[in-house]
Formats: sequence, structure tokens, C-alpha cells
Amino acid sequence: MPITRIVRNALITALVIAAFIVSLRVTEADFPRLFRDLPKGKDLLTAFLTPDVFTREVETRTISIAFPIPCGSAPTESLLPSDGPRLVPSVNCAAPLETFTLQGFDLQPNSEVVIRWRLPDGRTMTAIRTQTDANGYFTYDVQARPIQSSVDGVPSRLEVDTLTPVGGLKPSQALKDVMDNMFVTIFMALLSTTLATIIAAPLSFLAASNITRKGCVGTVVYYIFRSFFNLMRSYDPLVMATVFGFWLSFGPFPGFLALTVVTIASLGKLFSEAVENIDPGPLEALQATGAPPLHTVRYGVVPQIVPDFISYIIYHWDINVRISTIIGFVGGGGIGYYLNLSINDFKWNQAGTAIWAIVIVVWAMDFLSAEIRKRLT
Amino acid sequence: MLQIQNVSKTYPNGTQALKNVSFDVKDGEFLVVIGLSGSGKSTLLRCINRLIDPTEGKIIWDGVDITAAPPAELRNIRRKIGMVFQQFNLVKRSSVMTNVLSGRLGYVNPWMSLLGIWPAEEKQRALEALGRVGIADKAHNRADALSGGQQQRVGIARALMQDPKLILADEPVASLDPVLSHSILQYLEQLNKEGITVICSLHFLDLVHRYATRVVALKDGVKVFEGTAQEIDRAKFKEIYGEEAQEVRAASL
Ligand SMILES: Nc1ncnc2c1ncn2[C@@H]1O[C@H](COP(=O)(O)OP(=O)(O)OP(=O)(O)O)[C@@H](O)[C@H]1O
Ligand SMILES: [Mg+2]
Repeated sequence: MPITRIVRNALITALVIAAFIVSLRVTEADFPRLFRDLPKGKDLLTAFLTPDVFTREVETRTISIAFPIPCGSAPTESLLPSDGPRLVPSVNCAAPLETFTLQGFDLQPNSEVVIRWRLPDGRTMTAIRTQTDANGYFTYDVQARPIQSSVDGVPSRLEVDTLTPVGGLKPSQALKDVMDNMFVTIFMALLSTTLATIIAAPLSFLAASNITRKGCVGTVVYYIFRSFFNLMRSYDPLVMATVFGFWLSFGPFPGFLALTVVTIASLGKLFSEAVENIDPGPLEALQATGAPPLHTVRYGVVPQIVPDFISYIIYHWDINVRISTIIGFVGGGGIGYYLNLSINDFKWNQAGTAIWAIVIVVWAMDFLSAEIRKRLT
Repeated sequence: MLQIQNVSKTYPNGTQALKNVSFDVKDGEFLVVIGLSGSGKSTLLRCINRLIDPTEGKIIWDGVDITAAPPAELRNIRRKIGMVFQQFNLVKRSSVMTNVLSGRLGYVNPWMSLLGIWPAEEKQRALEALGRVGIADKAHNRADALSGGQQQRVGIARALMQDPKLILADEPVASLDPVLSHSILQYLEQLNKEGITVICSLHFLDLVHRYATRVVALKDGVKVFEGTAQEIDRAKFKEIYGEEAQEVRAASL
């Protein structure tokens, strides 16, 4: 009947459109915002594109002179040197709120200079930053403050640090932290993959129909393990990590556990399929020689599945590095957690370093695993 | 003596592959099983070492009922029955040596062999077995690096490691060219002359005439002939292979 057909199609179309409208509502899709918020995105992007990777080591040299406030409250600096790195104030001493000029001679050229007061009690006060010129000279107008007054004949001192970069570039703190956290992530992935392999490899034989599904007991065992793997596989590692996280408090350990459980299921399933796909001929030939059952598996099955197993293990390590990055984001430690912290602290350059590290490692793992798997066959 | 008594096999899907087959095989015979594709040759051979369990009937070997043997005893029986396959059934990624040694798994210390450790005398035995089939120099090649004929010789060497009293050969030369077929069957003939009973399924009648001391023919799972190759006359041949096979006979005789 064409009429019912048309009605039915119209109904379906209406339902689909309604579903789309609802979806747009609930996801608060606001595509124009993509363009309106472009400036914000640009700043972020610049920060991400200039990751915090290197710093230079600086050598700090400090010289100082006594500077009594007010005059006569303490002895002035007696003998000012006339060559070498030296500070020369326009006056020997000053009254509170009097402004004078401080000059520095023959300091490190083109260096950052930090000028500060060291008060009589040893505390330091408000630093001013400036630069030396090519001759190592700087000049700066300083105002004397009451708080810098001498106490019991001990004057405040003017201290000047010259900061000179020495040696080449060296990894910044952010880069070191990123590398440390990246190692946590990579090794979390490696350890969970290894542990999962150790558990899944033997179990996979029990879930392989050509090995186990014989007789009553065998069939039951086969179905138990097969459904175990299928069931565990349907849990998302992220959900699992959150559950473990509430139980064991957050950190790398629950993330590692979640990853391991999911990997056991996934590898178990892949492994058992590899076992099921073997050429049954050699296995049969070994059974015909009167070899014990375990030996028929050891000599007839294992050599056939080794390349597949290795390939799956590497593939899973690769996947687990990605997953553990994401798990880290929900508090599982490692690079994901670090990235989360950096973003929450608005340390965009630091976040940029982390993101670059993730991109590079994921790419490298992907490449490596593909290369190794290519070699195996 | 091997006694096949009223053996029937019905596969789970309902195919009746063997129907009440009975015959005896005396020690030292070279018995050839012939029949069209699907007539039940493989099923019969596999029932003898119970790679397949017959649905009905008994198979008795030197007084022992193979069909009733529990697993441990069955393994002891299988140790003495070598098997050679059409597809060779070697572990392709393992070395020739490992493939040959694995024929000995029913005899050696199970813990050691599980770890892949083999006593020197077993390795020596394997080299001798390979020497007998003329490929001792291939011991350390990977099995899949060998030609078909060489792989089948590895298969025979593996069976030899079992120190067998009986060899079951299921179309051992069906995937080899005629020249190679003769060289492989000559090895089996040699072993037969040394006292090993051979039960072999074959396709080509010229080979049957050349090697068989006795012939059993199957058709649709029923034994339709038992006797010497010479006794297969035109009428018998038609019965075994059907009307359409006249031409083939002319070519193969
Ligand atoms: N595992 C199985 N399940 C169901 N049916 C089977 C099975 N194996 C063999 N058959 C059937 O049993 C019959 C006999 O098969 P069998 O392999 O014994 O014949 P064959 O004489 O060895 O044939 P070929 O010369 O092709 O090897 C055939 O009809 C086949 O389709
Ligand atoms: Mg067959």
C-alpha cells in the first residue's frame, strides 16, 4: 500500500529530524561561537606552539655597598673601588624619600641586573630589574624609603645581582617534568600490557574452541572464559579507572589496574581467536604421535601463534599508552594528569610541552608498532 | 594383526562416512585403500588411531581394543602408530629438527620436552631418521623452506621417530608429482620390508599395482572390494569408480 508507505516514511523522517533537534539542544551546539571565540583560541594556540622546553643556566654575581638612611645613622661605605665591577651611588647616604642615582660599572655586559635592598635585619626588599649595556654599565634612579633606615648603627645595603647566562641551552623544568610523567605513562602501559599478557595468554587457550571445546567439561570451560572476555571487554577503561580510583584513591595504581583488566579481556579475546585460526593439521599430527595434550599445544600450536601474539601485544602497548594518557586526565597519574594540572593552573606553555610530548610519543609508538608488526609476517 | 570389525561412522552433521566396514590387516602387509573422493578413506584411517571416534564397531590391534582405550592407554597405542598426511602437517615455522623430534614426544621426559630440552641421543636419532629419507643436511632449515617432496620426507622421519609398528599414510603423495610420488612410496615400501605394517590410501591405480600387497576399496562408505590389485578387473573397477571412470582407467593402468 503506497499510502501507508508514504505515511510511514514521513513519520520516520519527522522522528529523525526531531532527534537531531534534540541532539543539537543537549550538546548546546553553537557553531558561530567557533568564530566569535577565535581570539581566545589564538592566544591558547600561540602558547601551545611555544612549549616550555629549554632554559639557560645563569650565573649570579652579587656586589653590595652600605647605604645609611638617614645620613649619619651609620658609617658610609668608606672606600669605593675605582676599577673592576663596582657600584657608584650619586650620594653616600640619603634622607628618607630622597632620590639618587645608582650606577654600576664594569659588570657583566648585556646581563640582567637585579637591584635590591638588604635591610639591617637581613630581610630583602623589592627588587628592580634592569639590563647592563655592552660595557657592563647601568644606571638607575633609586628612592630611599623610611623602612630602609639604619637600625642601631647598622645600615641597609644596596645589593646588585648580575645574571649571566652560561653554557648552552638545557632542558627546562617543564620538559623534565613532562619526561618524568611520560615515563610513568609509558611504563604504566608497558607494565599493564605485560601483566595482562601473562594472564591472558594461558587463559586464551581455554577460550579457544579448537583446544578446549571437547566433551562436557571442556565446553563449559570454553563458554565461561569466552563470556568472561566478552563481558570484561565491554567495560570502558575510563569508567573502570574511575571506579578503581574511588576505591584506591587516585594515582597511577588504579589507572594501571583498570588498564590491566581491560587489556586482559581484549588480549584474551584476540589471542583466543589467533589460537582458533591455526592450521589444525600439525596439531592433529602431534596428537597422532601419542604426545600428551599439553605437548601437542606446546609443539603444535605455540609456534604457529607466536607472531600473532607478539603483534597483538605491541599493538596493545601502543593503544595503552593512549588510554593511560586519558586515564591520567581523570586522575590516574602520568602525563595526562600533568597536562590536566597544567591546564587548570593556566600554564599554557607547560601544557604545550605536554601535548607535544604526547603527540611525539603516540606517533613514535604507532610507527614502531607498525614497523615491528610488518617484520613479523 | 589389526582387526576392523563392523566399523561405522556418522558425522554430527549426519553424513554417513563409513557403513559397517570390516577387514583384517596382517602384520607386514602393505594395504592400500582406494575409492573415490568422499568414499571414506580418510575417515577409515583416522578411526584406526582414533583421531576420529567411530560411531559403531571395534578396532582391535594385537588383542587390544583401540576403540575402548582410555586416554592414557590410547596415547601409548598411538605412539606405535605413525601417521603420514597428504598436507604433510608439519609445523611450518619450526625447524625440521624440531618437527622430527616431536614424533618422540610420547616417549621422552615430559618436563624436559615441555621446556624444549632434548637429550643428545634423541637428536642423534632424529638425524638418523632424516638420513634415512636423505635430507639430514636440512635439519636446521625451517620446515616451510623445504619443497613438498622434502616436507613429506620430514613427515616420514617424524613417524619413524615413533619406532612404529604400523604406519597410516593418508594419500601421502596426492600433492606431489609422479616422480616424487614414487620416491616417497619407495621409502614406505622400504619400511614395510623392514617389518612395519603400512596402511595407505592412494588415488592412482598404477601406484596401487606397484606397491600394494593387498587392496581394500570403499564406495560411499561401504567396502566394495578386498583382494590383490590384480583381481581388480574391468567390472570391479566400474563398481568402485563408477561408469564415468572408464577413461581414467585407461590412462592410469
Ligand atoms: N568432519 C566432518 N564432518 C562432516 N562430514 C565429514 C567430515 N569429514 C568428512 N566428512 C564427509 O564424510 C565423507 C567421507 O569423507 P572422507 O574425507 O573420509 O573421504 P575420502 O575418501 O578421504 O575423500 P578424499 O579422497 O577427498 O580425501 C564425505 O562425504 C565427507 O564430506
Ligand atoms: Mg581423504
